[in-house]
Amino acid sequence: MNRRSFLKALSLGSGATALTGCGIDDNRYYTPVEDLLPYVAHPVQTTPGTPSYFATTVGTGPRAWPVVAIHREGRVVNVGANHLAHAKGPLGEDPRYRYRAQRAVAPTQFFELQRQYSPDRYTQPMSEGASISWEEGLEKLSSAITAARSSGKRVAWLGGYLSGTMPSLLETVTGGDALFWEPLGLENEALASRALLNIDTLPRYNLSKARYILTFGAPFLGDAWGGPGHQADYATARDANDGRFVCRLAAVTSLKDQTSANADDWYPCNPGTEAQVALAIAKIVARKHSYRGPGQELVAKGDPAAAAAASGLTEEQLNTIADAFLAGGALALPGGLAGASVQGTQLAGATYLLNIVARTRDLFTSGGYPGPIHSYQDLESLMRDMASGRVGVLLLGDLDPVHALPNGAEFAEALAKVDLSVTLTSHPNDTTALTKLILPTHSVLEDWGDEEPMQGFHLVRQPGMAPLNDTRSLGDVLLSVWRTLDADNAPTGDWRGYLMSRWASDIFDPQVRGLGATGASPADSVESTESTDGDFLRWWEGVLGEGFFTARGGNAPLSPTGDMQGPSGGGLEGNGELSLVVYPHPFLLDGRYANEPWAQEMPEPMTGHVWDTWVLMHPLTAQRLGVGDNKAVILKTEVGQLTVGVEVSPCVKENVVALPLGGGHTEGKGRYAAGVGLNVTRLLKASKDAFGALAWQQTRCEVTRADADADLISTFGVYPRSYEPGDYTTDESDSDRNFAASVNAAQWAEKGDGETEHPGELTGIHHLPLDARLKAANVTDFYGLPDHPTYRFGMAVDTNACTGCGACAVACYAENNLPVVGKEKVKQGREMSWIRVNRYLKDTPEGHSPAVHFVPMMCQQCGHAPCESVCPVLATYHTIDGLNAMVYNRCVGTRYCSNACPYSARKFNYHSYVWPEPFNLQLNPDVVTRTMGVMEKCSFCVQRLRRIKSAYRDRGFTRPVPDSSLEQLPACADACPSQAITFGNLVDPESGASKLRKSPRHYIPIAELNTFPAVSYLARASFHVEEAKPHHEAEGAHGEGTPDGGAHPTPAPHGADGH
Amino acid sequence: MALVEVIDPNDPGKPNRPQTYQESNRDIIRVLLKPSSMYIAALLLTIAMMGYGGWCWYQQIVWGMGVAGITHPTMWGVYIVTFVFWIGIGHAGTLISAILFLVRSRWRTGVYRASEAMTVFAVMTALLFPVLHLGRCWQAYWFFPYPNQRELWMNFKSPLMWDVFAISTYFTVSSVFFFVGLIPDIAIFRDHSRGLVKQIYGLLSLGWRGTHRQWHAYMAAYGFFAAFAAPLVLSVHSVVSWDFAMAPTAGWHSTIFPPYFVAGAIYSGCAMVISLLMPMSYLFNWHKYVNTWHYENLAKMCLLTSGILTYAYGMEYFVSWYSQNPYEQTIFVWRATLSADYGWAFYLMVFCNCIAPLAWYSKRMRTNPWSLYIIAALVNVGMWMERFNIVVSSLAHNFDPATWWQYVPTWIEVGILVGSAGWFMFWFLLFCKTFPAVAITEIKEMVTPPVKGRLEA
Repeated sequence: MNRRSFLKALSLGSGATALTGCGIDDNRYYTPVEDLLPYVAHPVQTTPGTPSYFATTVGTGPRAWPVVAIHREGRVVNVGANHLAHAKGPLGEDPRYRYRAQRAVAPTQFFELQRQYSPDRYTQPMSEGASISWEEGLEKLSSAITAARSSGKRVAWLGGYLSGTMPSLLETVTGGDALFWEPLGLENEALASRALLNIDTLPRYNLSKARYILTFGAPFLGDAWGGPGHQADYATARDANDGRFVCRLAAVTSLKDQTSANADDWYPCNPGTEAQVALAIAKIVARKHSYRGPGQELVAKGDPAAAAAASGLTEEQLNTIADAFLAGGALALPGGLAGASVQGTQLAGATYLLNIVARTRDLFTSGGYPGPIHSYQDLESLMRDMASGRVGVLLLGDLDPVHALPNGAEFAEALAKVDLSVTLTSHPNDTTALTKLILPTHSVLEDWGDEEPMQGFHLVRQPGMAPLNDTRSLGDVLLSVWRTLDADNAPTGDWRGYLMSRWASDIFDPQVRGLGATGASPADSVESTESTDGDFLRWWEGVLGEGFFTARGGNAPLSPTGDMQGPSGGGLEGNGELSLVVYPHPFLLDGRYANEPWAQEMPEPMTGHVWDTWVLMHPLTAQRLGVGDNKAVILKTEVGQLTVGVEVSPCVKENVVALPLGGGHTEGKGRYAAGVGLNVTRLLKASKDAFGALAWQQTRCEVTRADADADLISTFGVYPRSYEPGDYTTDESDSDRNFAASVNAAQWAEKGDGETEHPGELTGIHHLPLDARLKAANVTDFYGLPDHPTYRFGMAVDTNACTGCGACAVACYAENNLPVVGKEKVKQGREMSWIRVNRYLKDTPEGHSPAVHFVPMMCQQCGHAPCESVCPVLATYHTIDGLNAMVYNRCVGTRYCSNACPYSARKFNYHSYVWPEPFNLQLNPDVVTRTMGVMEKCSFCVQRLRRIKSAYRDRGFTRPVPDSSLEQLPACADACPSQAITFGNLVDPESGASKLRKSPRHYIPIAELNTFPAVSYLARASFHVEEAKPHHEAEGAHGEGTPDGGAHPTPAPHGADGH
Repeated sequence: MALVEVIDPNDPGKPNRPQTYQESNRDIIRVLLKPSSMYIAALLLTIAMMGYGGWCWYQQIVWGMGVAGITHPTMWGVYIVTFVFWIGIGHAGTLISAILFLVRSRWRTGVYRASEAMTVFAVMTALLFPVLHLGRCWQAYWFFPYPNQRELWMNFKSPLMWDVFAISTYFTVSSVFFFVGLIPDIAIFRDHSRGLVKQIYGLLSLGWRGTHRQWHAYMAAYGFFAAFAAPLVLSVHSVVSWDFAMAPTAGWHSTIFPPYFVAGAIYSGCAMVISLLMPMSYLFNWHKYVNTWHYENLAKMCLLTSGILTYAYGMEYFVSWYSQNPYEQTIFVWRATLSADYGWAFYLMVFCNCIAPLAWYSKRMRTNPWSLYIIAALVNVGMWMERFNIVVSSLAHNFDPATWWQYVPTWIEVGILVGSAGWFMFWFLLFCKTFPAVAITEIKEMVTPPVKGRLEA
């Protein structure tokens, strides 16, 4: 090749390269084609890139709670706390106490959000499996109702609890035959209220002021018993701020579930004997109080000796509990589903009596949930009518009797004999799959509505987005049926108008305008909706903006004017040595959220199990049976048997086996629920207690080894769990490690959370002596800490307030587009949760039961982050705001950062996960979805931080974002019903998070590694640990050894930025 | 043909030494003859292993790292274990060729070329792993400071970055050193071949004619590179050990790591030389050149380093007790619990690395071919297990017990491990067949030089 030919070839080659570059036919290369077309005219309230917020109500019946639907580009992408559900909440502000705002989002409310986008949702009306139009469907329904009326058959509604306007509309349309029943055990309390207290509502428990709470199993710190408001109240009671007391929680239960795990004193009690225990305590209290008044003869039936014998408690323990009631400020809570034995209603009654004889007047009042609650007896008579063909039309709401009833199979048979069974709900379940006509309704995020979870606490529900499918509002369906049936009297407006007229007549007129209650039914006043005066409309707009209205009333003291038979006998019946206890799954509840992948993937707070059903067994019981963790056993009762995996746990009474409800659905429920877990109701009979409520705790069972391994998977790690009775330290979940710390409750109550010279002095944590020497030499760190001129974002997590409910973790899934990976991947340790709610068992000095600590762990955003220095490509680095930024684009996936992280806070994308449509509609547009091969972790919701900082800058402020706008900014802090998470700017010494770093309860897990985390923790109050020595008496570095700067007695070299 | 030529221990080397230059030339050049069927079979086996490993890697690229067993918090598994293993193997070559050259150890002559080749190929194998263990291996070039308009740099604080430089330096220097040593021998191959092959060898021998001036320059260069490479033996594995020691992870965060890793690397490297040369000298009949004299000396090296390792293992336990660091204590106690997840790996390591080589204190065992071969193989297994224990068990039981998890390798990881061994063996086999795997020129230094007349004595 000579020079000329070389040059020719060169020019040809480069020309060809250049031409390829400007080729028009670039289909060979992937160029994403996206049309970025601006709106010519913005739809109202829709600015691309900017969220709109709709105050609304998610959840139904007693679980309803005001939240804010966060709307982006035509869809609701998240739910946040309603910041106004504050001191304006149902209980009002109490000037005596620093009141925890009742702003909260419960896990189930996030499940409702995910439900909105479930691929299994009904999309259109169907009849016997064939698609039909709405007109046809309504025609079928109306004619069936007409036919049933003419032939004298029942037209009934069966659904879960509803309050507000809907029950009355349902009653009207069904001619008074609407049944509201749920399997979560509130019926006991309703029956007891009616029989004993002569009130139609449930009682209200004012937890926030209680000094002592005794629960017989009601899961008030979860979602299975009421809304998240209880948690906020409990957190207030539990908080020793302002030198108050610390509420002591005692549980008389056979099982420590997520709620009773928070108990300071656990009295393991034989299931089914709680009623006797409650009455016996009431008797002791009444005797010591010399109680004279209504119900005294009922209380006199209590028998401490017999109760002690039956329950397995000692009389001494009963006296101890009684003493707490005598000391005042004590409150007893009923049993919920866990207390729903054959004496469940007596238990509820006995707790009422106990509260009354203990004179807990302002803690136990009228004004609880006012919605209709029917008993199982009513449901049973409906079933009988269905089976005998006396029901013409059954309208089925959001209830799944085929799955949730012990005799679900009978219900299914009876359902087939109904002339026309109609589904009137938005999501399928095992029962709706068997109905003939499906008229899908709007979901809670698409519909108008209202709820009243406590008397006088009126919540309004407004649509957060347009309906996704060809669905209609339940109210509109009912109104149109009404119009067809009774054109003369039926209102002409739509459901929204009906709702507004009800609010005008029942709430606005008496409460705001000052008129007496008109007593007129909504139907009478509905005509006036159109002409409702401006006053109402202005008020209504305000209510819609706030999401709720708090009426006066309620809070009347209660009196046991009724009568009630006392408990007798005790314990459960049936063959076998072990008592069978069922309890609601904290996330699936009775199974209603089983098709929500978030609900299945959330580790159950006490066991860490996901996507399954397990049986809890005491170590001694397991030893006797010769089984261990994840071994299969066969549970056999009179009516059925199940093969289920064992979780050995010291948190269940000996000789009790406990199983969560909520598993074992059929295909009808949906693709994620089908075949996951087991339906434990199949072990039970449909037996009732004396008042007609369903008895869940009813039988003993025989347990035998299956000699096989089960397929359970717990996210709680694989640390050795060799529980010896009386010595739980062998559970290495937190031996010597101080990931969970305690303070003496009395000492803290005296001291409060105020800033102290020696932060952490009450925790008694002594760090390695090295720290002390460095401190003495005034060497805080060899390298300077990073410079934070304006912000160092940080967080304080109060493990005393944390109840382990998991709201933070679910909120994080919703906000940060975390993928759900499924059971097989979780089994490989690959769940993607950015927050794990660690559960640690701590040995108590008494040694009878381990204390449970819940510690939410997320990225600690260390000042000296080990992850940052080891990343070879600088994909993670320290920002000037104090965040450990994670640049997904830059990450090559060495995973070294995760190995270096002492908190194991990082998660890796093992695969590229996809969101099956339409789940992708829920994805937060502010957060990128990650692809395979990159690390990720908690970002402190950096997208929210950016938004708020930009908002301040755009408004022309030069000062930093104030603490009030930061305190609950991240999704976890926003959701937390206990407000255990305080976010803030650590550079600002006045911020809440900064102040809490100077609290005597302050601690930092593995602080001796000197990573200077931005997340600090507050120790849990305990009534069982000894008082910590004052700082100057303790040897070595005490508390002060927490090298976080904020704790320095003398200003640290970098003190200004909050270390 | 015996597996190993057993020689008179009192006069190592002498009786079996080649007697003339021609003889040694002939013996080595013999490898260029038509390959035996056994050689072909071995080569095909290595290709099959590589193919399987490649298929596994393809799976991993398509589906993501999830096909491997790595999990939270054990984010490093078989890949990093094997990476450190091969880097360790890559140490003996330079040690034997450079350090033993500098101290004028005569026995290195027979084995140094093969062990240098082993070094180069082992480092080539090791270099696969930092790439294929990446979540996004197609971005591996981000490890290098290439110019880019976003002005992105790598993180020079990261031990992984130090690795990149340490290993690439080591690879470059040991390759150059290796090649320099090859020049006169390639010239011999050139002189004994014809046609295209002669041209290739001619090109590679860089015009070597064996003049005095060339020999002078050659010896100076060789000495220089030996001196240059010697400290790298110590530095590279120290840097590799910092991948672990620099992270705060309990079980990793220890100052003992650099010497501990270097000793382990030499240990595994010497054992690997034994494991490799025994079949090779069987295959190519090199018994005159590589025999028990060499193996015995390698075994002695192993004995020394095994002692250092045993001390290091003990010292890790002592320090974790002495420091009273609860996290470290838990890890070390748990690691040595036979019933725990990786107890078997720990005891396998202790047996292979600390106990099995003790047999070599007996001269008979040191010179017995079977004992040599089996114990060397055990040491290789043990050294892989050592890295497994360090990498996996420390991570699996990190600080927060709520995250403890068990890591179980998958078939994909095993496949890639097998593939890497295939890749290594493939290059080694090719090399032995086409290049002088025994250093002819140095052998000749030990042969009576061809002189006219008779030598005295």
